[in-house]
Amino acid sequence: MRPAAAAVAIDAGDLPLGGGALALVRPALLLLEPGGALAIVSSNPALEDDLRTWCKVEHHEYLGVEQGRHVLRRGSLSVPTSTSAEFPAVADPSTGFAPRGVLVEPGGPIYPYSLNDRDHVAPAEVAELYRQAVQSQWDATRDIPWHTIKPLPEPLEGALCQVMTFLAENELSALYVPSKFVSRIHPAYAEVGMFLATQMNDEARHIDVFLRRARLGRAQSVSSVTTSQSLLSLLQLEDFAEASFLLSVLGEGTFLDLLKYVEKHSPDEATTELVRRARVDETRHVHFGLVHVRHALRNDASLYGRLEASVRKRAATFSGAGGVPAPIADALTILAAGGGDPQAVRRGHDAFRELMEAMAENRVRRLEHAGFTPSQAQTLSDLHTPNFM
Amino acid sequence: MKADAILVGAVAYDPKAVTIWEGIREHFLDQQVAMDFVLFSNYERQVEALLEGQIDVAWNTPLAHVRIRRLTENRSISLGMRDSDRDFRSRLIARKGALTSIQQLEGRTLAVGSRDSTQARILPLHFLAQAGVDLQKVKLLVFDTDVGKHGDTGTSELEVLNAVHAGRADAGAVGDLIWVLEQAAGHVDSAKVESIWTTPPFDHCMFDANPTVSKEKCDAFRRALMAMRWENPKHRRVLELEGLKQWMEPREEGYASLRAALDALA
Repeated sequence: MRPAAAAVAIDAGDLPLGGGALALVRPALLLLEPGGALAIVSSNPALEDDLRTWCKVEHHEYLGVEQGRHVLRRGSLSVPTSTSAEFPAVADPSTGFAPRGVLVEPGGPIYPYSLNDRDHVAPAEVAELYRQAVQSQWDATRDIPWHTIKPLPEPLEGALCQVMTFLAENELSALYVPSKFVSRIHPAYAEVGMFLATQMNDEARHIDVFLRRARLGRAQSVSSVTTSQSLLSLLQLEDFAEASFLLSVLGEGTFLDLLKYVEKHSPDEATTELVRRARVDETRHVHFGLVHVRHALRNDASLYGRLEASVRKRAATFSGAGGVPAPIADALTILAAGGGDPQAVRRGHDAFRELMEAMAENRVRRLEHAGFTPSQAQTLSDLHTPNFM
Repeated sequence: MKADAILVGAVAYDPKAVTIWEGIREHFLDQQVAMDFVLFSNYERQVEALLEGQIDVAWNTPLAHVRIRRLTENRSISLGMRDSDRDFRSRLIARKGALTSIQQLEGRTLAVGSRDSTQARILPLHFLAQAGVDLQKVKLLVFDTDVGKHGDTGTSELEVLNAVHAGRADAGAVGDLIWVLEQAAGHVDSAKVESIWTTPPFDHCMFDANPTVSKEKCDAFRRALMAMRWENPKHRRVLELEGLKQWMEPREEGYASLRAALDALA
């Protein structure tokens, strides 16, 4: 709302300036445009001198009093500016944490937000995605049939523990990466930060359930250097669109296939359910990533080059690292085999190879969906981390 | 700081003086004006330093300004003042219903501020006498706090307000700025205290330059000072602390009543 009225009148009764009159005068002035007149009807004899001084302090002009009717003219100093009720094209860092659509006093401190433009930050769909995310929250204790878990024979127990540990390790990075950007996003695009908050809450819950499942198995798991290098390169990203692309579109996108695989070969109902629920959440994160990247690409054609450069730079980190980290490749094979029987392991190995193929195919499909050409999509997919995320 | 920097004196009436002057110095540097400041513990020492040329400019209370004008035979150079320094008034406040006119002060207790406070002591008493009040018949409750700081700290005015609130005085003298700001902040109980009289207007603080300071330095000082803006977050912080929204050009006519009051006291 922009101050608009040319004249306003109020009745201040016999209120003294500091005994209530200001509580009527100040909001009335907000309704006026600079230069607009405010009439105050008052029977308080001290109000004239008090208003005169107060007007001087606040740079309004006290015009005088006649028969108990004081008139002042609103000054032009410190007139609040209106802010957009919709996502603004560019957001002003000096509006601080003021919610969208309010009037903001000028002269506030400059906040250190660096994500201040709609084109790179705020797709229109984010409010709806936030709403869906809030409705889809679940309870790690109540919603998982933990009682269905029984001790498993080795090497299956070890493989399952390894897979759950690997998932938790990756989800920890998915908790940390968005957190870097939340405080950089201008609150004019609060829904983006709020969506990321739901994403982080999802990741926290996933870390919880994956580790609970891993620890029930009591087997030792390994964290590989390839995984650690891959996740560090995600954590070091400083560009929000690049992070959305690498984490959500490529990383979490690839994880959808991984989770589907674990769900399919899960040894018990509880594991099936927790992985299924995690996959539903991750689908939402991938959706936001795609929406965000497509939005940014539509508004900034140079982003294609930057995203490709970012993938290439990251791929250089893995050159010579070989394929999928050995502990997780082995564990996924044994999980699909359901144990250590050589014939079963052969089938497990085939399933693992099919997983790799499905991941690559779906990644290309997602990249095309994000707006890349088939050949660009193929190139970028081939450069993706062997760590899946 | 370069040797030809403008050296400004100010009285450290509160720790915030350091924040204020570092902020102003930073703004002057942004304006390519080399300036540094010296903090004094009282205005008497600052006036002396200005007269001896140890500082170029002094940020003076009205009392210090009038003294400088007198001691330099009006050759000192006035450089600027706050918006809030113009048309200052003192208020006579009273316990609600205790007095209806200043003539009723005789035989009553009047709380006043420090003896070097223009707004809480010197001018209200001067104007009351002018209005016909026989001050010999008024019992003064004196709050001589922070003498040497010319009422800058505001402590004696707050003591006056407290005394009237608590009924230790029938009436009290305070500056209108503190009266209105304390009301705006919700610190005045309007069931207990009311304002019954307002003095004529007078002007308050002033930047005074030693008469020998060059025109270039004076112009540079004025230009940098007037470039501060309320809408600029960096400036606003300093302006808020110093109690103004806008720096104004100097004017001398607002000090006539204080000169007359000091003559009458001499």
